[in-house]
Amino acid sequence: MNMLSSINELLSHIKQVEEETIQMSQDSMLMLSEFIEKNSIELDESAAKGLQYQDIISQQLSATIEAIDSVQKAINIFENAYDSDEQIANDSIEKLHLKLSKTLQTAKNKREAFSGKLGHEDETDEIEFF
Amino acid sequence: MPLVIFVDDSETALASTRMVTNSMPIEVKQYTEAQVALGEIQAGLTPDLIITDLNMPVMNGFEFLEALRKVPSTARTPCLMLTTETKAELKQKGKALGLTGWIVKPFNPAQLKQAITRVLRLT
Repeated sequence: MNMLSSINELLSHIKQVEEETIQMSQDSMLMLSEFIEKNSIELDESAAKGLQYQDIISQQLSATIEAIDSVQKAINIFENAYDSDEQIANDSIEKLHLKLSKTLQTAKNKREAFSGKLGHEDETDEIEFF
Repeated sequence: MPLVIFVDDSETALASTRMVTNSMPIEVKQYTEAQVALGEIQAGLTPDLIITDLNMPVMNGFEFLEALRKVPSTARTPCLMLTTETKAELKQKGKALGLTGWIVKPFNPAQLKQAITRVLRLT
């Protein structure tokens, strides 16, 4: 179980780095936008798009943090089961596998959902009115 | 001047929309929480257009839209969704809830301005 504990610690580290990256990218973007607004600079299409990437980066990283939380929760449940009864632990391995597979699928779905127009550049840029 | 409300849990997304709309003849109010915007609307704020994100904690864009339609003053107020989501089923749900249109992020500044101009009939 030392291996799972190490993986757990590594996941915690990755999560922390991601959280710091989200905060740093947000601070960076807000400093830049403050400068742009203060100097009344008009955004062109590419500048506006570039500034909006921060929001997408933040959403993508937040989704992976959610996935890490879910994996860590599953690992903790497994570790507790292993500590109390080896037979229960064996049964839990299958549950852990299913949980991790589900987490991966959820994370992939969120990656798609939070990408916006990125990766869909061939699609029309028109705003859809109903 | 017509009042346009933007709701997005991302401050940077709000900054982007603010920079794009600051030259338009509109008054803009921005909120990072839909429930706060809803509270002000229930207290008497009457926007001419509402532009909201979909994925937000506490109250998402659809829940916000449903709540807005129950408030007499915003039952028919135009509402645009500004989101990273592109799925057809979500757009259909929005349409069924009385959404006016769907804008996918990252938005094109000229098209966002055109959409606001069109909905508010500014020209």
